[in-house]
Amino acid sequence: MSTKRWVPILVGLMVVLALGAAPGVVSPFILQFLINLFMLAVLAESWNIIGGFTGYASFGNVAFFGIGAYTTAVLLTRVGAPFALALPAGGVLAMLFAAIVGLPILRLKGHYFAIATLGVAETMREVVYNLEVAGAGTGLVMPILRSPMPFFYLMLAILAAVTSLNWWLSESRFGYGLIAIREDEDAAGVMGINTPLYKTIAFALSGVFAGLAGGVYAYWITFIDPEAVFKVIITIQMIIMAVFGGAGTILGPLLGALVLASVSEWLSTHLVTLAELFYGLIIILVVIFMPKGLSDLIRQRAFSLRYFLKNLREYRI
Amino acid sequence: MLILQVLINGILLGGLYGIMALGMSLIWGVMNIVNIAHGALIMLGAYITFWAFTLLGWDPFLSLPVTVLLLFLYGYLLQRVVLNLIVRAQLFITLLITFGIEVVMVNLARIFWTSDLRQVTPAYAGTNFSVGGLTIPYVRFWVFLTTVILSVLFLLLLERTRLGRAIRATTQELRAARLTGIPVAQIYAVTFGLGAALAGAAGALWGMLFPITPTMGGALTLKSFVVAVLGGLGTMMGAIVGGLVLGLAESFSSTYLGPTYPNAISFGLLVLLLIFRPTGVLGRREQG
Amino acid sequence: MKHGSGRRWIGVAVVAVVLAVGAVAWAATDTIVLGSAISKTGKYAREGKFYVDAYTMTVDAINKTGGVKVGGKSYKLELKMYDDQSDPNLCVRLFTQLVTSDKVNFLLGPYSSGITIPASSVAEKYQIPMVQGGGASEKIFDRGYKYIFGTLPRAEFYFLSATQAAVNLNPPVKTAALAYSNEAFDRSVAEGSRQLLKEYRIEKVYDEQYPPGTQDFTSILAVIKSKNPDLILVAGHAENSLNFIRQAQAADVNPKMYVFTVGPPTADFRQALGKVAEHAYGVTPWLPDMDIGGEVFASAREFSKQFKARFGYEADYHVASGAADVLVYKFAIEKANSLDPQKVRDAIASLDVETLYGRVKFEPNGQIALGQVLIQIQQGKLVPVYVAGKFVAKPIYPMPKWSQRK
Repeated sequence: MSTKRWVPILVGLMVVLALGAAPGVVSPFILQFLINLFMLAVLAESWNIIGGFTGYASFGNVAFFGIGAYTTAVLLTRVGAPFALALPAGGVLAMLFAAIVGLPILRLKGHYFAIATLGVAETMREVVYNLEVAGAGTGLVMPILRSPMPFFYLMLAILAAVTSLNWWLSESRFGYGLIAIREDEDAAGVMGINTPLYKTIAFALSGVFAGLAGGVYAYWITFIDPEAVFKVIITIQMIIMAVFGGAGTILGPLLGALVLASVSEWLSTHLVTLAELFYGLIIILVVIFMPKGLSDLIRQRAFSLRYFLKNLREYRI
Repeated sequence: MLILQVLINGILLGGLYGIMALGMSLIWGVMNIVNIAHGALIMLGAYITFWAFTLLGWDPFLSLPVTVLLLFLYGYLLQRVVLNLIVRAQLFITLLITFGIEVVMVNLARIFWTSDLRQVTPAYAGTNFSVGGLTIPYVRFWVFLTTVILSVLFLLLLERTRLGRAIRATTQELRAARLTGIPVAQIYAVTFGLGAALAGAAGALWGMLFPITPTMGGALTLKSFVVAVLGGLGTMMGAIVGGLVLGLAESFSSTYLGPTYPNAISFGLLVLLLIFRPTGVLGRREQG
Repeated sequence: MKHGSGRRWIGVAVVAVVLAVGAVAWAATDTIVLGSAISKTGKYAREGKFYVDAYTMTVDAINKTGGVKVGGKSYKLELKMYDDQSDPNLCVRLFTQLVTSDKVNFLLGPYSSGITIPASSVAEKYQIPMVQGGGASEKIFDRGYKYIFGTLPRAEFYFLSATQAAVNLNPPVKTAALAYSNEAFDRSVAEGSRQLLKEYRIEKVYDEQYPPGTQDFTSILAVIKSKNPDLILVAGHAENSLNFIRQAQAADVNPKMYVFTVGPPTADFRQALGKVAEHAYGVTPWLPDMDIGGEVFASAREFSKQFKARFGYEADYHVASGAADVLVYKFAIEKANSLDPQKVRDAIASLDVETLYGRVKFEPNGQIALGQVLIQIQQGKLVPVYVAGKFVAKPIYPMPKWSQRK
């Protein structure tokens, strides 16, 4: 085992430990920001599995988030189950949902797949709106947990897990299989890769982490309604963070989440009404000038105008 | 009789849905761009109609050509300057950029025109006529007629004019079209302009029936997806048929199942269609 | 030796006391900060503005009349307001920031039940009182929370005066249709209304929930028309009421009476609809030309005049409710004679005071006990028709059919 392999693991461990010490050091407000940041990073990394590695741009991953949130919430409030049970249940249900829905939907490609996943997410939202046991339009209120610490550590743990999974994907045969599917699915099939199985597993993995994030979110924010946990913008955020950081890389989505969440927070407090406008402009500029994301920028050490202009010309007609 | 009223309501609304989806279907079919800013274009058309009505006193039906023209120019420029830059990129790139455009447009509208509810209320709004026990509002009826006329005009444009032929050639075989000297960048810009113009018309008509706000477009984009897929992506006639189907489905399900069901049904239908018959009601078997 | 060390200790004690007093004097600020995250943008921007303006004007008025007196000192009130963009998630984070980072003294509520439900959890978590005037759903108050108070009357009883009036009209209302939005507040109203209709023996011929963003009521109206009810009750936002009325005209739906939870009492609603708004009924806990009043604002009339002069639009019950929220703090803080959150909270809970908004007294669960006035739009004006169990004006009943209106 070369030292090269151990370095990233050690670095990762150190970062996690450093972050783990954060609650004692930073202000409660920063703590809330970090919990939110970790959640967005988890979502971006989870999307990366199906969108970045496998190349299937899903536009409906918020469905998994919402299912995780609602499963946990319903078990907590209607059944009185302990959180230690409700949270994993949320993750498992989201995973099963992804696997079952994935079977027919992953046969579609390109735009059709994207729209179908969007349709699934929207359908789930409408279904929950009509479910009385889930509180319908009124939503569900969770019991209050006064300390933010459990949420901080939970989100950090889930983030560490999903990032490790992404790392494993980049080194394993399974991961190579996914990349092969992304690059040329027919060829991958010819080479003996069981593409439907691989895709479904990727989708399910994507689902379980989004679902867990949703479960923690529900308990943390103490209130959910269909609008809050099934809205399209959450999927878009996942995607734009992954793309901004570098879709298909390990740390890209994390990086993207860090930068964009910070920028968004700064905009909200300092520009208030113009915040969303600037966010939209940023999205447009990123897509035009750096569609391969920050990772690519950093890896090529190309902090020059030439890099951006090259990207500008790459996809145009 | 209730069932006849439900039927008529569905058809009248369906026409509007059809014209709404026509623009999206065109852009999708020709340039393979899924335009998430479609709803924002509709919103723009609605606001232009509103300001023309409020500031200049123009009747909304009469200001329609102006709205269409303005949206055409806007769409043309948008494609020429911004979207042509990423036409050949992967799918989610185009989705993201049109999303960004939507956010910018909606926020600009909010900043300049505020979130106040706007309405276009000419003197004849709310009037209706009765036919055999059915009540038909005049405005809905005229809106429907307008959608029929616009659809026919558009189909004629596509089938019978040189421009239309060029557009269809570019859709079917990009490389060949370039070889025959068709200026693809230009065609794309014109196509997007046409798509925007149709969206603008839809917005003008929508604004005559419902209140106008900066955020009105989001739900309409989703609806347009459903209609476009229902009818068959890329086929123009399909968008119109899809619109009618959706209008009827919504009207009947709202009445006989309950008002909270139409949304779930339309999205569920979308998913099922994509799985089992992605080419929709009228579509041909094409590549994805 | 003993003498020397004793004097040294006295010296230390004196210095310590001087430092402590100095520190306290230096640290003591004479402002009380009220923090809030309110919908300045987003789908609730319109109503959010009512509260922003109400809070602002009331704070200024209190400061002009001597501020808030605690322990013999006069404190100025200050506002710190963030925009929650009508997003419950953002609102929760902003309130958390207000409490933990900005360290405001007390909290003023956001708008809408859907946002107030989660936001109030922040107040409860950190044990800082929150007084809100924008959420009426019982879901806000039935969790046993001690730190949330609301100045909007109970959602379930929104249609009480309407129902009572309906059965006392001539000819009395016998059948009713109920349409409500799939949201916290409106579902509460619907639950309560079902009980009311049963209690007053009005037959319910239609009872349907509609999606929150609904703009097209054509199908709903078609079915309601086929059932021909005497009374239609609609629970939703202003936009829903507006669309409903316009489309009722287009579809030629002619009940004897229709009542809306939101819309008719607010001026821009009536302006937007013009003549089409005629004869519609609404409910409001407050009217701008009432003579009720108290400290700071001598009467509702006086308040309305000042408000219109400053902000250019008519105040409605949202505005008055927001003003009352700020007033509650003035009275409670002075009553507790302290800035301690716990003590102020107790003072709010036991408050009983007359204000421009009416009598402010909270039930044990934190919600105000105020009745709703049934109003009808007659010739563009708001006419109180039924209040506290009796008619105070003659309603135009039954509503003239659309075809017979000019």
